[in-house]
Amino acid sequence: MAKTNYDEPKSAKGPLFYGYKVFQYVFLIFLAVMSLLPFVIMIINATRSRSQIESHAISLIPGTNLATNWKVFTGKSFNVTTGFINSFIVSTGATICSVYFSTMTAFAIVAYDWKFKKAFFAFIMAVLMIPPQVTSIGMYQFMYSIGMTNKLFALIVPAVAAPSTVFFMRQYMSGALPMEILQSARIDGAGEFRIFNQIALPMMKPAMATQAIFAFVSSWNNLFLPLILLTDKKKFTMPIMVSQLNGDIYKTEYGAVYLGLTLTVLPLFVIYFLLSKYIIAGVALGGVKE
Amino acid sequence: MKKALSLLAALSLMASFTACGTDTTPASTPDSTPDSQSEADPSSTEPPVEPSGDKRELKVWAFTTEVPGMVTKFMDLNPDFAAQYDMKESVIATTDGAYQPALDAALAGDEVDMYAAEAAFILKYSQGEAAKYAAPYEDLGIDIGKVKEAEIAQYTVDIGTNPDGKLVGLGYQATGGAYIYRRSIAKDVFGTDDPAKVKAEIGPGWDKFFEAAAKLKEKGYGIVSGDGDIWHAIENISDKGWVVDDKLHIDPKREEFLDLSKKLMDNDYHNDTQDWQEGWFADMAGTGKKQIFGFFGPAWLINYTMSGNCGREVDEETGEVKAEGTWGDWAVCEPPVGFFWGGTWVLGAASSQNKEAVGDIIEWITLDTSETGLQYMWANGTFAPNEDGTPGTKDTVASGVVMAKSDGKVDFLGGQNMFDVFVPANQFANGKNLTPYDEDINTAWRDQVRQYTSGQKTRDAAIADFKQAVSDKLAIDAE
Amino acid sequence: MKSAQSRIKSISNAKYGYLFIIPFVLVYLIFHFYPTIYTTVLGFTDCKGLNNTEWNLLKGNIFANYQSILQNKSFQTAVKNTIVIWIMNFIPQITLAMLLTAWFTARRITVKGQGIFKVIFYMPNIITAATIAILFHALFSYPTGPVNDLLTKRLGILEGSYNFFISKTASKIIVAFIQFWTWYGYTMIILISGVLGINPDIYEAADIDGANGVQIFFRITIPNLKTVLLFTLVTSLIGGLNMFDIPKLYLNGGPDNSTKTASVFIYEQAFSGKYLYNRASAASMLMFIVIAICSAILFYLMRDKDAAALAKLKKQERKAAAQRAKSQSWR
Repeated sequence: MAKTNYDEPKSAKGPLFYGYKVFQYVFLIFLAVMSLLPFVIMIINATRSRSQIESHAISLIPGTNLATNWKVFTGKSFNVTTGFINSFIVSTGATICSVYFSTMTAFAIVAYDWKFKKAFFAFIMAVLMIPPQVTSIGMYQFMYSIGMTNKLFALIVPAVAAPSTVFFMRQYMSGALPMEILQSARIDGAGEFRIFNQIALPMMKPAMATQAIFAFVSSWNNLFLPLILLTDKKKFTMPIMVSQLNGDIYKTEYGAVYLGLTLTVLPLFVIYFLLSKYIIAGVALGGVKE
Repeated sequence: MKKALSLLAALSLMASFTACGTDTTPASTPDSTPDSQSEADPSSTEPPVEPSGDKRELKVWAFTTEVPGMVTKFMDLNPDFAAQYDMKESVIATTDGAYQPALDAALAGDEVDMYAAEAAFILKYSQGEAAKYAAPYEDLGIDIGKVKEAEIAQYTVDIGTNPDGKLVGLGYQATGGAYIYRRSIAKDVFGTDDPAKVKAEIGPGWDKFFEAAAKLKEKGYGIVSGDGDIWHAIENISDKGWVVDDKLHIDPKREEFLDLSKKLMDNDYHNDTQDWQEGWFADMAGTGKKQIFGFFGPAWLINYTMSGNCGREVDEETGEVKAEGTWGDWAVCEPPVGFFWGGTWVLGAASSQNKEAVGDIIEWITLDTSETGLQYMWANGTFAPNEDGTPGTKDTVASGVVMAKSDGKVDFLGGQNMFDVFVPANQFANGKNLTPYDEDINTAWRDQVRQYTSGQKTRDAAIADFKQAVSDKLAIDAE
Repeated sequence: MKSAQSRIKSISNAKYGYLFIIPFVLVYLIFHFYPTIYTTVLGFTDCKGLNNTEWNLLKGNIFANYQSILQNKSFQTAVKNTIVIWIMNFIPQITLAMLLTAWFTARRITVKGQGIFKVIFYMPNIITAATIAILFHALFSYPTGPVNDLLTKRLGILEGSYNFFISKTASKIIVAFIQFWTWYGYTMIILISGVLGINPDIYEAADIDGANGVQIFFRITIPNLKTVLLFTLVTSLIGGLNMFDIPKLYLNGGPDNSTKTASVFIYEQAFSGKYLYNRASAASMLMFIVIAICSAILFYLMRDKDAAALAKLKKQERKAAAQRAKSQSWR
């Protein structure tokens, strides 16, 4: 931990200091409210009736219409369970692939000396720049021609090559992986794969958890690729379903729409809070390492 | 934490294996619909086999719940059929043009058995690029001799006939339009709610219409809810469609929409809402900024949109009416200009492995003129009757035979027989100004018109930008 | 220390370096590189039309698709919009993220409850963009909607409702705001990670020198964050120039193309209307070139400034050390 607890200098504790403190907290609380307010509105509106929402769209008082909204919502051709399970399969699959193989790739760069190491790292930095949309048309035509459309598999495997995760892991590893331990393991006769899996991986846990959150979230929220690769309704992921939530524009049940939005968010909240201690603790990256 | 992570890993490994193996087990995702525990494999390419206890799946694509609702009804009426088939519906709204790309991809992936297309894009699916995906009705086992017997309007047939001269799609509605107005406001402003007299107040022609708008404004009312209301009247009275000889053509009648829309805006004659959005629906219930006199629309607008959005609330258990909203305060009269709007065509997919079943349903929807046929039920409110057994909402239908024996009295219109107005209006329905890209072009056009009416750009700039937008998006250049 | 480590590793281990990058390279070649080449090739073909996978190379003018895209006014607008919206979102985003990073890593004036703040600030990022777009569309509805409700009935700031959906400026600002709102927490967390990795000795040295918080942040924290900042800038630039979900789902690129981004344009060309795969491919490659140039500029700017700053810092340190030595010897 870089943060060391110094005693606050006495000279700073004048009125100016308290003014600064008050400003700081007011500002932080303002940001917190700004970040939370839309969710609050969403959750509260999920309990209100259509006419209540129409006359006053913002309210902090929950309504009593949750049961009715639930009825309307389940009557729609919107299957939360399917969407959730599909999204879960894709996101966890992609997260595991991306975090495990990125760590492996980063390990190859940090722990071994090989001829094209520098060039390879430069290549990864360059690959970072290729936007996914550039490849999307080719990707679509390619997937279509090998019959990989409508396979969740097709959304998971590409995650093995995640340049930004490799970059992040490499930064962390170059600061936090002691080579001596690897060497002594080698002397004990451990194979390189065992060294990676049983020694290096556990040491990378904080960084892997942080990257897991990012990878999971970005995969869970990905709309572009699923939108063009999935056409079978049973394979739809959550974002596709949400984007079609206004499924029947001729009938507007706002309460039910808000309820649907809330349901798409709740599972993610749970996973997020499970892993949030890594957000709080923070992960130290080797910022100045060459 | 360690546990949570390893659990996550285990779950996802399991999950990705099932995902890879979905070729044979598509139902790895539990479906909440009660009747889906057994379903045929959709992705297998095996030839159709006799259902051996397993139900086969009918994949229905539509842009509203209307057609899927009909399929459900058909299954209710035919338990034998329902014992063999399950419906999987995909309902995607046409807002933001989301329906067509999704349907196109599904058609290419053989993920469709039966699908619906709206007037704004039916030509693409019956005669244009996507016509190859539509199965001729004959191949679905439909007796097309019935088209004449049922007296289906000729334009419906023309639109639904593919370039080889085979019938691939038919509609079930007749979509001639009327002006649908509030009786209470008519009495307040014009001293009468009699359709014959109100008709003379608001038309014929746009000049009379704007005179009426001025009178309504004096008493604090708006004549329509937003610009979309008059657009649908204007869109389909034009002589030519958007595309003539592969060039973009702006019909003078459609161009006039700029001026009429601007006039509504500048004089504050409407609530400036956008059709299909919150404010528009609010005006149906009379809860908008100011009370709105009326809407332009065919019978389906009443049936499918207005009756559900008029603010009436009925307790589902007791049948007690908790709020009336504007229910019963409406009437229909001839519009200032004759027009038609929308209509849904039903098609079967050429790649479907359930052609016979699809044919059965489509024939029942489009050609069955009996009292148990869809069209009779649709026109007489027996398709979805009210809780107390009284007729539900009604609609005008495509078959002349059915219309002749139907009754159009509805409570929503205070007991008025709406067929008196809608049936003569059907003469305005024709397919001669439709093009395959209407949906995209209309979107661009209305976007630019709104820019002009809100004062963001000049009339000429709006037209120029519209031409540019169409050329950029669809590679269709202006004349 | 580093050279000592390298010496420990034997040459025979080099093969594991290659072995361990095989999954990455394989998947990259199949799922990323090949499609990229495919896209590049399609840009020179006549491949268009619903679900068409057959194509021929263009005869005559092989750059016809590129020419038509370059002349395409909507594409020009889309590229401009993309850059404008990205800048409108990124500048406040990085500024705020830096400020929060400074506060949360400050060593003298610690912020109590910073854990909960971090968790809350990152929260907007975990929500599906589709959900956010629908939510904001509902919030800004016209004529009746929460924001208009607030501005007119509750606060009385406005006489009548404001149509956020028709105003080009308002739409751009809202899209930029949504992007900002979604991503500032993420950026903050990456930056904090970077700061935590800076060697504490440097800070101790600065403390001994009597540097104040602001000086430490600008003289030590920022220069030492070089790599991480560059990473943030580049990923945000790429993410920003590929912005798709929010503009697509919030107003479908409207009104009057004002929130149409390059990605929305490419999607519309390739996957709707007339299915112009060839033109969309050309547009994709053009976007790639734009992004590559922008990234190159960033790399260049960051490297130069940083090197200069570092050199300056080292000079100052030397000076300070010399002075200290001098004063000590004087004493």
